[in-house]
Amino acid sequence: MKKNPYKVLGVKEGASYDEIKKAYRELAKKYHPDRYRNNPLADLADEKMREINEAYDFLMKNAGGAYQYQSESQSYGNSTASQSGSYRTQYQSQQSRQQSQQGYADESELERQVRTHINNGNLNEAQRILDRMRNRNANWYYLQGLVFLRRGWYDRGYSNIQRAANMDPTNYEYRNALNNLNNQSFGYRHNPYYNNTYRSNPDMCQICGTLWCADSCCECMGGDLIGCC
Amino acid sequence: MFGYVEPDKPELKIREFEVFRGYYCGVCKSIGKRFGQVPRISLNYDLAFLAVLLDSTQGEMSIGKVERCIAHPIRKRYVIRRNQFVDYAADMNIVLAYYNLRDKWSDEKNLLGAFGSMVLRGAYKKASKRYKEKTEKIKSLLDELIRLEKEKCASLDEAAEPFANIMREVFQCPHVEDESKRKVLGWLGYNIGRWIYILDAWDDLADDIKSGSYNAILLQFQYNGGDLDAFKASIKERLDFSLTYSLSECEKAYSLLGAVKNAGIIDNIIYSGLIVKTDKVLQGRCKKNEKESI
Repeated sequence: MKKNPYKVLGVKEGASYDEIKKAYRELAKKYHPDRYRNNPLADLADEKMREINEAYDFLMKNAGGAYQYQSESQSYGNSTASQSGSYRTQYQSQQSRQQSQQGYADESELERQVRTHINNGNLNEAQRILDRMRNRNANWYYLQGLVFLRRGWYDRGYSNIQRAANMDPTNYEYRNALNNLNNQSFGYRHNPYYNNTYRSNPDMCQICGTLWCADSCCECMGGDLIGCC
Repeated sequence: MFGYVEPDKPELKIREFEVFRGYYCGVCKSIGKRFGQVPRISLNYDLAFLAVLLDSTQGEMSIGKVERCIAHPIRKRYVIRRNQFVDYAADMNIVLAYYNLRDKWSDEKNLLGAFGSMVLRGAYKKASKRYKEKTEKIKSLLDELIRLEKEKCASLDEAAEPFANIMREVFQCPHVEDESKRKVLGWLGYNIGRWIYILDAWDDLADDIKSGSYNAILLQFQYNGGDLDAFKASIKERLDFSLTYSLSECEKAYSLLGAVKNAGIIDNIIYSGLIVKTDKVLQGRCKKNEKESI
């Protein structure tokens, strides 16, 4: 049985369009395939994304305020509605990009095999082929980097991809992968939970220091900000 | 296990803190009840986190009781009891503590290690019988870890892998029925294990230089006996990436777990506690064994 679309999006039944849209956007950001690139859980994230998209499409078509969801009579999920948020289109272009990557013209047969093995999570096989390859060009380092990342060896993964990007600075894919890595770790460090905490607010020391500074400056100029000192 | 996984306490709600402590005390009491009083001292925070995390996969209310305990005789505390995940965390705590102490003895001829592993031996046998396959795997991974140390492995990624895989095994609790959830837990465990290993290696740099012990960071970045602070500063950014990226993978895994309860505590640890700890250790503001009391 399909899940209740309201529950999937984490909104109350009868939520307004805006609330649904907002919740959808949050979730779509969270489970976006860009975040789960080179991740062994990518298939689960995809599934989750599909669920969210289906729930969103269903609610956008049928809801709008006071609609009551009945799981018995209504089935959603096979809706092929063209309703699509901005993430949906991004998501599709992402997939097609991946497909086009597989068809690189200047990539050798072996490199294509490595890509397929990585995509299927067959890391040992991919590594075996890479080890046998003599020609260690930028693409080789890139693929080796992907294998490392997928394995959880982020230090080596990062340096291999960096090396590929340095060897061929014009390649969009390498640069993109490198940026993505940096974004992932930056994004995690700057998550809203961590940044809305006591740490980000000025403490008493800072406030006093600033006041003292301002007072001294004023006094330099002949004025006075705080009369008593 | 090193006790690096901690909540960011000032951000925790009082209620959440009580629940977290309830799990912590629950694991402790579960050890006491099934293995005797002495092994209780081997408990650490990481396993309390494991209990909280595993229990979040099922929606049933956890049963708590307010009781007294030897460590805190004055005030009664809320303790989570009769919970299969709490018991599982207690078993894993014993297994890991036993290996850790035995390793200390065979490695550094540490007497505390010899004594401790002797004390824990009975408890370990009991716990390992319950999870035979799992302890076998952990044991072989530990052998691999020791082998890499002996071979003076100069890659941090490679050296961290066996311990990360041990944590993968530990997090993949057989009582979690859903297979995809177990997979998610495994990846979370791998990355948290990797984070612990690297953080610990960084924390131990000064000691390892002094004693001449193995440390993957020293070997990978070819420390030549110069100024340690300059050495640390030169590699800090790179290690920061490695640590933060591992944590970001933990976070991604956690997003897919779909916790049905305890989300407040786990959010606090995943989104804040681990970052706070990383920064503390990277800046050298945290010495090992410096444990805040709960």
